[in-house]
Amino acid sequence: MAFVLPRAAVVPSLPLKARLTPLAFQLQARSRNVSARRTIISSAASPATEPEPERLHKPQPSRRKPLSAEQKKYLDKALRVNQAGELAATLIYTAQMPPINKAYPHLRPLMKHMYDQEAGHFKKFNELLAKHRIRPTAMYPLWQAAATFLGWSTAAMGREAAMACTEAVETEIGEHYNGQVRELLTWMTDMENRGEEVGEELRLLIEDIRRIRDEELEHLDHAVQNDAKEANPYELLTGVIRTGCRGAIWVSEKV
Amino acid sequence: MASLTTLRNSLRAPVSLHPFLLQNSTPRALYHSYEHDLPPPYRNPEAAILSSALAHVPNHGFTTIALTLGARETGYLDISSNLFPKGAFELVKYHLVTQRLGLKNRLQFPDEGRLGVGRKVRSLILSRLQANVETGVVGRWQEALALMSLAENIPASLRELSALSDEIWFLAGDVSVDSSWYTKRASLAAVYAAAEVYQTTDTSTGFRDTEAFLDRRLEEVRTIGGAVGGTVEWAGFQAGAVVNLMRSKGLRI
Repeated sequence: MAFVLPRAAVVPSLPLKARLTPLAFQLQARSRNVSARRTIISSAASPATEPEPERLHKPQPSRRKPLSAEQKKYLDKALRVNQAGELAATLIYTAQMPPINKAYPHLRPLMKHMYDQEAGHFKKFNELLAKHRIRPTAMYPLWQAAATFLGWSTAAMGREAAMACTEAVETEIGEHYNGQVRELLTWMTDMENRGEEVGEELRLLIEDIRRIRDEELEHLDHAVQNDAKEANPYELLTGVIRTGCRGAIWVSEKV
Repeated sequence: MASLTTLRNSLRAPVSLHPFLLQNSTPRALYHSYEHDLPPPYRNPEAAILSSALAHVPNHGFTTIALTLGARETGYLDISSNLFPKGAFELVKYHLVTQRLGLKNRLQFPDEGRLGVGRKVRSLILSRLQANVETGVVGRWQEALALMSLAENIPASLRELSALSDEIWFLAGDVSVDSSWYTKRASLAAVYAAAEVYQTTDTSTGFRDTEAFLDRRLEEVRTIGGAVGGTVEWAGFQAGAVVNLMRSKGLRI
């Protein structure tokens, strides 16, 4: 009863695995689409135009609904990039301080103040990463070397260049934090509209990132006040540094 | 009854759709929230079949026979073992996942903080190895290792090993988040894997030899880690000294 098809008669035109049913194709495309969308977007809009929900400043009851997978992915990437950014900031100041303080002793208190605030931010993000079991960026040693080199080279170029470097880095970081704060506040308003609780974890996170964002913008103002715009290859320097920062942020999100 | 209907519907769907409908793969670890627990990794019918199949492993090994017996015992048809496209490997993975998630319940540390992180790591590894013994799986674990080493199963096995390593470091109270995060997890994964393989050949009473093996491996990690860390520190000091020397000579750097 068994009959064998001659091999030449059964030649599939495509590899068998590629032949999906329409339903399977749709499901596969949907799962691929979700992961391909860019998660973190920075915003150059002024902080004054941010929504200010009154819930933000009062202790909130605990959430009944867990965070979605998309939201967890966003927080994972955002906090990883923030920690990498603060690492770079502390190392830039550490490398800039010896030459600048030696040549311009009157800048010592300002540099110390900015360094202390960055060190506080770094400590805060380290605690958040450890608490929420988020992995740090694998490029950590590379960013350590790059930030130290950046701080040292701009300090060697002079006070104005060092301030221009600070201005460029703080502008990029400020925009980056702005985007994050807006996204998290959007979550909060969505939850309000749906009648869900926000929960203390999310509320305190938003407050922390806002405070840190405000301090970074304060550093930006200090840098501009201290003749950042007087740096000699101003456009080139700030352009290169800002592009580098954007690239580093993009890589730290992924890796 | 609802679970039986969904089970039947999933089995009726074409085979190409099974990965999308039967999502029992552990999702990648992300932001860990303290407000809610993670959803259970396996749905009820699968968890029931796999846990009763695990009870048959000491007699039948990690095979589809154990899966079939498990399905039969839970009241499903023998053919329900088709729910597990990877066959016996799914049984291995179930054991790995449940033991990893159960590790925090097996061993808890009092809050005094007298134990260092290293000693906690040692205790956690020993507890996890003991779990292999308690579930009766250690006699058949060489089969499981063979299944895990098949090319199609290697990514899932490595993911489970790294998840276990992360879990052990978290439970031991490690809070470092610099590049040592990666080196610590890699070295712990290597030590645990070696100890688990050694355990399958250990015939001593109470697995004393495995404990001694583990202590030797941990000692090696400490020595090498100390040596590498010391070298890096030395190189950093040398570089700093060169820069400071040039500054003292008047060079404006």
